Amino acid sequence: MHAKPNVPGAIFLGNKDYSWTMDWKVNGWLFLAAVISGASDIMFPHLVRQWSLPWRMVIVLAPFGAILLWMGSLARWIRGMDEMHRRITTAAVLFAVSATFFFVTLWHGLERAGFFEALIPGRASWDINTIGHSFLLLTLFYFVGHTVFNRRYE
Amino acid sequence: MKNRLRELRAARQWSQADLADKLGVSRQTVNAIETDRYDPSLPLAFQISKLFKLRIEELFYPAER
Repeated sequence: MHAKPNVPGAIFLGNKDYSWTMDWKVNGWLFLAAVISGASDIMFPHLVRQWSLPWRMVIVLAPFGAILLWMGSLARWIRGMDEMHRRITTAAVLFAVSATFFFVTLWHGLERAGFFEALIPGRASWDINTIGHSFLLLTLFYFVGHTVFNRRYE
Repeated sequence: MKNRLRELRAARQWSQADLADKLGVSRQTVNAIETDRYDPSLPLAFQISKLFKLRIEELFYPAER
């Protein structure tokens, strides 16, 4: 008998294979990065900006350390899958990263060109440039990609 | 590629979950192989061949044109 391989459904909320423990094990660092980034976005203009440069750098770079740790836990999780699921999940991750990159750069370009300003004059900036935004987009595009790539094998 | 996995599994009265456990893969992968939606890698094909004590050519064959 072999050890049971990891399954993609373990991180899909609502899936019969969903496991809170596995979801946290795989995505805990990403969630933490989003929380730290969000907190620093709120605190930075009023509080952190007054701190010395080394401490400001620690605050700004902390989420990226968490992201690197998340990449490691994601890679370990994918490595523990069987070959078919590894193929589907790798394709979904690749799609999610590419789509997020495309969407964020496109959105930033439109914002810079004044497209959204022309759409709704006088509104605050709609630029999506935080880790929290990327986290949400990555999650969305991963689920879309996984659904599409998994269809072939269902 | 097509295969005889389903008939060989049924002959031994194994469920897809049983076969998945013996091969160290998920039940979805076993199902995908049996329904010709997924062709296993060479190492997995050899593992299947060893489990059923048959040559790979006796398990897998090209789909008819």
